[in-house]
Amino acid sequence: MSQSLRPYLTAVRYSLQAALNLTNFSSQVVERHNRPEVEVTNTSAELLLQPMHISRNEHEQVLIEPSVNSVRVSIKVKQADEIEQILVHKFTRFLEQRAESFYVLRRVPIEGFSISFLITNKHTETMKTEKLVDFIIEFMEEVDKEISEMKLFLNARARFVAEAYLGEFVY
Amino acid sequence: MLHLRPENLLVQKTLTEAWNANEAGSPLTLDRVISDFDYTTLHVSNSPDIKSTLFLSIKTKAWQSISQCGNGFLEHLESKYAEFPGITACQPEQGFDYTLSVDLGQIQPAAIIQLSLLKIHAMSFAFQLAFDEFGQLSQQAQDPASFSGSDSSGTVRMLQYRDDENIFIKPSNDRITVIFETFFQDETDKVFGKVFLQEFVDARKRNRSIQSAPQVLFSHEPPLEAAPFTSSRKLDKDRRFITFVLFPRHFQTPELQFSSVCHLTLFRNYFHYHIKCSKAFMHSRMRYRVDTFIKVLNRAKVDEEDEGEQQTRRTITGRKLVY
Amino acid sequence: MSYLNNPAIVMDNGTGLTKLGFAGNDSPSWVFPTAIATAQRSNTKATGASSGSSSIQNSGTPYFGNSTSATSFNSLAASALMSNNLAGKRGTEDLDFYIGNEALSASQGPSYSLSYPIRHGQVENWDHMERFWENSIFKYLRTEPEDHFFLLTEPPLNPPENREQVAEIFFESFNCAGLYIAVQAVLALAASWTSSKVVDRSLTGTVIDSGDGVTHVIPVAEGYVIGSAIKNIPIAGRDITLFIQSLLRERGEEDTSLRTAERLKQEYCYVCSDIVKEFNKFDRDPQKFAQFIVENTEKTKRKVIDVGYERFLAPEIFFNPEIASSDFLTPLPTVVDQTIQACPIDVRKGLYNNIVLSGGSTMFKDFGRRLQRDLKGIVNQRIALSESLSGTRSTGVDVQVISHRRQRNAVWFGGSLLAQTAEFKSYCHTKQDYEEIGPEIVRNFSLFNMV
Repeated sequence: MSQSLRPYLTAVRYSLQAALNLTNFSSQVVERHNRPEVEVTNTSAELLLQPMHISRNEHEQVLIEPSVNSVRVSIKVKQADEIEQILVHKFTRFLEQRAESFYVLRRVPIEGFSISFLITNKHTETMKTEKLVDFIIEFMEEVDKEISEMKLFLNARARFVAEAYLGEFVY
Repeated sequence: MLHLRPENLLVQKTLTEAWNANEAGSPLTLDRVISDFDYTTLHVSNSPDIKSTLFLSIKTKAWQSISQCGNGFLEHLESKYAEFPGITACQPEQGFDYTLSVDLGQIQPAAIIQLSLLKIHAMSFAFQLAFDEFGQLSQQAQDPASFSGSDSSGTVRMLQYRDDENIFIKPSNDRITVIFETFFQDETDKVFGKVFLQEFVDARKRNRSIQSAPQVLFSHEPPLEAAPFTSSRKLDKDRRFITFVLFPRHFQTPELQFSSVCHLTLFRNYFHYHIKCSKAFMHSRMRYRVDTFIKVLNRAKVDEEDEGEQQTRRTITGRKLVY
Repeated sequence: MSYLNNPAIVMDNGTGLTKLGFAGNDSPSWVFPTAIATAQRSNTKATGASSGSSSIQNSGTPYFGNSTSATSFNSLAASALMSNNLAGKRGTEDLDFYIGNEALSASQGPSYSLSYPIRHGQVENWDHMERFWENSIFKYLRTEPEDHFFLLTEPPLNPPENREQVAEIFFESFNCAGLYIAVQAVLALAASWTSSKVVDRSLTGTVIDSGDGVTHVIPVAEGYVIGSAIKNIPIAGRDITLFIQSLLRERGEEDTSLRTAERLKQEYCYVCSDIVKEFNKFDRDPQKFAQFIVENTEKTKRKVIDVGYERFLAPEIFFNPEIASSDFLTPLPTVVDQTIQACPIDVRKGLYNNIVLSGGSTMFKDFGRRLQRDLKGIVNQRIALSESLSGTRSTGVDVQVISHRRQRNAVWFGGSLLAQTAEFKSYCHTKQDYEEIGPEIVRNFSLFNMV
């Protein structure tokens, strides 16, 4: 793990732990509704907390938007070139397609980010908060690793395929 | 599967079945459509009168451009099947470009394989012309008397084998240049294709054992050989040009010529096939990742069973005690 | 665009067998087991790089000929398997696999393990299925998926998530031009239009689909499956084969292999109208007993097998399950009747009127006639009862079971019929639609307009 990644992840971990302090909160606007307050256009400023923006560099950023009963975490995954861009896009799309089994995954990311999670008080009631944070951190680590492994695979396969094809011309 | 075979397996299977049935004395009634890469459709049917005579028709996108390459196309195809008894060309079936009539009583298994190569044989005509012209050009080059001084180059032949994609073949006195014009419709394919094509270019430089393979070049601009043909059309920025430079050692004997033509005509299919294979492999990887992520996430879940254990008491038979 | 002229591809991936072919043909081009043999990581070196790449030239390659069984392959010439020279190369394990008959012969060697990616009609292993499709398209059908439309089939009650996964594979991995996913039962109904008995081309009817593993009774009303009324019978082709095998063993025949039992089933069995009478007929007329000769592969030894009562007794287990099974005892006609009775009352007449058979295990001679007779009996009994109770006259219910020539691959054939129509392509979802809307697009397909 590179030098700057550790403090970056630590910063995200502590910010998340601080943000994941949620309570059940009924909507002030619609009677008997209980909705994640970060997701609705809100007129009552007291429900939203200060968003936190953690940035390692311009390609890797995390935006944490806390509110009284929900937190939205958006992650920007490193995309150095065209290939990584397409791989990240494919990968996040694949995950979002399976959002049903991920509980906390948002089907559409916030604009400017690769993938978003929405954690509500319902989630923190049924799941251990520190394990949820672990999941987000592990996710961030693994995604980078996966993308670079896929890129390596693609190059290796292309090389193998090209050599195999040209090898047929060697008489 | 790494390489695509030049033979059409389905033609082979259909004809073998028909042949076996005919040998057994009960000829099949056939009316089958079979397809091949690049807008090629084949049709196998019985002759209306004689059951043991089959018609094998072919329709392919490239047909028109092949026949414009030069004279003697039909003779070329006929010559491919001349040595096999029972196979004769006949009036093309309605809607098809070319039809062979096959007498099942006379053919041999070897002929069936040749029949399954019909598409390759058709495509090979343009290459054959280039090989012939190369022969003339290299003769001229060796003969100083007739050598005109400038680098003599032959005619460029164009095969329009797909809607937006063409093959250009240009013989000159020491080499034959084959240029593939490709175009990717899909965004992902475009990026993956770039990686693959770059590796095709680099493969020869890197790997010593394939030094004698054709040189491969890759460009966004049409190479000079192909420029006269492409200038009229609007130049897309997504267009790519892959050039294979064949040296005499790749087409010295008819066998080498045939094998080179097989590989070249399947180039696009081969490399699209492998793009698809890599995408499939990535899907497998991503499925695996999703599973591991879900496992991590499930660890976070508060196990209701654990929590409840302290409060609920159970009898020896496992029933819950309710107060 | 040129792809409009290319024939559509019809793929029917069943639990046991996969049928592949082009729309417009009268039978599938390839029928082989839905099996995939993947390289085992532990001993990839075992095969080494045998230089057999030219062995494809043999005309007796194992993948010729259409299978009728999911577990045994036609030609046992395992040696003709071609090598793809991939064994042992690192990073290319995902290319080193075989499907269909080749998979069965490859799995006899030490370096490949066999698996069936479809269980109970639904895809279980998507990784294997994706590669199975990949090989089907490029090797067996030789098509560029970008140039063709695809018609795939799915079992009734397939969850929509599975459809989305299929779409993801076909549009993202293969870039196919267009996709239509049809329910197998609906295609089987469409296939019955070739029968002369069918007068109106409606999509209302009961489909009895009996393959290798399980028999389904599926009511379809106007092209929609009535999911709540579907019934399954755990008796199908394999049970019949096993029953024949047990009869052969009891009698102590020379050869009692599963393969022999299967051949007997396919060649000799038929459905009788009354077992007792049939037993008497056999006893009076020894001509009815047949003999079957098994030859070993080298044609040196011959074994003679007597074929006796199993000729009519084996298919009888559909109508009297108690002779073979101890846990499932409801005869097929009763199950069909129960299924239709579980449907809304306004479609029941249509369902009785159009009972369609599909699948290899409905191919026995007179299967349809016996079913029709038994079912008519049940229905008439009920009508008589209700007439006597209410005192009014019933208009009667017409029971009709339809057998036709395309029964064995009815689902595939129905797909081929529909996919060759001019309108088919307008019902498909195209790659452009997919990119614009996403995988959820395949949750809905408009039904074929039946005229």
